[in-house]
Amino acid sequence: MTQENRSGRPQGRPPEGDSRLSRTEAQLRGPFLLFFISAVIWLLAASVLGVIATLQQGSLAGGPFRGCEILTYGHLAAAQHNLFVYGWGFNAFFALNLWLLSQLGRFELRNDWLASLGGAVWNVALTYGVIQIFAGNQTGFGLLEFPREVGPVLAVAFLLAGFWPIVAFARRPTGHTFASQWFVVGASFAFPLTYLLAQLLVLWQPASGVVQAIAHSWFISNLLLLWFGASALAAVYYFLPKVLGRTISGYYLAPVGFWTFFLFASWTGPSALIGAPVPLWLQSVGVVAGAMLMVPVIITAINFLGTLSSEGGWSRAWNDTTLRFVSFGAVAFTLFGVLNAVFGFRGYNAVVRFTSFAAGQEQLLTYAFATMVLFGAAYFVLPRLTGSLWPSAKLVHVHFWATALGAVVSSVALLVGGYESGKQLADASISFQQVAKAGSAWNLALNVSAVLLLVGHVAFALNAFGMILKSSAPASAGRHD
Amino acid sequence: MKNLNTLLAGIFLAVALPFGALVISSQVQLGSLGRAPAEDGGPLFPSREPGLAIQGRAVYVSLGCVSCHTQQVRPAGQGSDIARGYGTRPSVARDYSQQKQVLLGDRRIGPDLANFGARAKTLDAVHAAIQHNGQFAFLYAGAKNEVASERAVALAAYLQSLRQDYSSPEAKLKQ
Repeated sequence: MTQENRSGRPQGRPPEGDSRLSRTEAQLRGPFLLFFISAVIWLLAASVLGVIATLQQGSLAGGPFRGCEILTYGHLAAAQHNLFVYGWGFNAFFALNLWLLSQLGRFELRNDWLASLGGAVWNVALTYGVIQIFAGNQTGFGLLEFPREVGPVLAVAFLLAGFWPIVAFARRPTGHTFASQWFVVGASFAFPLTYLLAQLLVLWQPASGVVQAIAHSWFISNLLLLWFGASALAAVYYFLPKVLGRTISGYYLAPVGFWTFFLFASWTGPSALIGAPVPLWLQSVGVVAGAMLMVPVIITAINFLGTLSSEGGWSRAWNDTTLRFVSFGAVAFTLFGVLNAVFGFRGYNAVVRFTSFAAGQEQLLTYAFATMVLFGAAYFVLPRLTGSLWPSAKLVHVHFWATALGAVVSSVALLVGGYESGKQLADASISFQQVAKAGSAWNLALNVSAVLLLVGHVAFALNAFGMILKSSAPASAGRHD
Repeated sequence: MKNLNTLLAGIFLAVALPFGALVISSQVQLGSLGRAPAEDGGPLFPSREPGLAIQGRAVYVSLGCVSCHTQQVRPAGQGSDIARGYGTRPSVARDYSQQKQVLLGDRRIGPDLANFGARAKTLDAVHAAIQHNGQFAFLYAGAKNEVASERAVALAAYLQSLRQDYSSPEAKLKQ
């Protein structure tokens, strides 16, 4: 990576002499672009719905679409959430994980049509599921809202689209492995397992009574930590040393970080059920696991922030488009881990429970961390795959500032707003309506942040699609040897 | 770390063990909960759900009510649920044993509904609450939204069936 910023162009540019597609990259160009383009389209759709949803939620008397059945908040929130997670988060990580492990394992994807087929099936099933949500056919379990027939289809599509990183790992020519590979293999293997078991116990053969809620909480923690978290951690482990041109500080800790992350993450689910009518031992297990999760959080902080803190790493990261996004994400992950551990404890949790606080934690993890890392990765990978430069440096700036600001404002509004209203709710003499009224300033902040995010995403989409359209590299460009 | 099989086995255990310990074992612990009297020979609670309430739950789910309303009362030490009048005792697992689908919820944009049926005095009050100042007017017909659709009738029956105001072996009401 060159660090100079020539002619004001953004920096996600391949180094000289390496500008042609490598053979591994040429093979995965098709599926990568399919995943990436659909991811960005879903991201745009989710951000539009996000703007409408915050407007609808903001006023008790009903937002701009009061009396419209399709656009009730219950439909909008579910559709937006699912589009963001399954549309953007999954498609984007399908693309990135495949690229990462192909690079690291020198893997040539021969059956690229299978991956593309998986992507197509995934997106068709997703479209069907979202239409069903708007039509009033949803299940009532967060992120399992799609009618149950969608579940098996998504699972099969995942195996077709998301399993290639494991194949790439198995076929790598060298014995040596790198942290990114472990995390991607873990994410690609843990998710389908989790999804199938959760589908079974929540929708197909529902467990009895509150066990449904327990199974659901286990599913959510796995989805957020083991898919979003692990995939994004893999990307940070790759891009930080790659772009900075140095090794990760304290890399010897990384295996411990990996195993403790996978060991504890899946136990944290019940910490979302504190105070709920589920056994107390279960809640305690969740709280303890959330605290134990500090071990990998500290290790990744040593790895990432340590690397960035030495030899002017921060300023170099700031001047590189990819690293600017990736470092933002790395900091957000540390913050998420600390909040997750602290607010798991009963006393604090009792205050923020049922407020927007949990949504704020999720926003930190899935947006401020994972999505920002994905953006950074796109600035690195896309120029290599398309063989062209980002059309507009201005749009890159708009993209960074709008999304960074939007991520901060939305997280703060959800977290601090949630904490404040939780404090008021703890006092039974303040009525629910009064609390809601007092929180209207935070709702306004949420509206603003939703618009900011939309602006940032439009800028990103314009830039990325412009680049893909004008890209001149034919798919066979890599076969030069 | 270099061996794929070891890696996959470790990840499998990391996912499967919590599943077994958290989900399967709580199914073992709670799966056989049923209706029970608070004291020997007393009435059985929770009551069976009326058919109309079961239809009403489908409406509740379909509209996504669960994104704004919870159905759980926390113990007195945690939060102000009881002081706020959401219930007279904390919710216990048995309260949900008759429900085919449990909608605990995790966000209160609106008030908790675990005891809505016990709280709402009249059917008119239930329908007024469903309308949310006109946001859900599409469930009603007539000039003043006074004619409830079949869905609104079912939803009202469901909301009225939501009550945890009985003694159960795990949580007795204070006399």
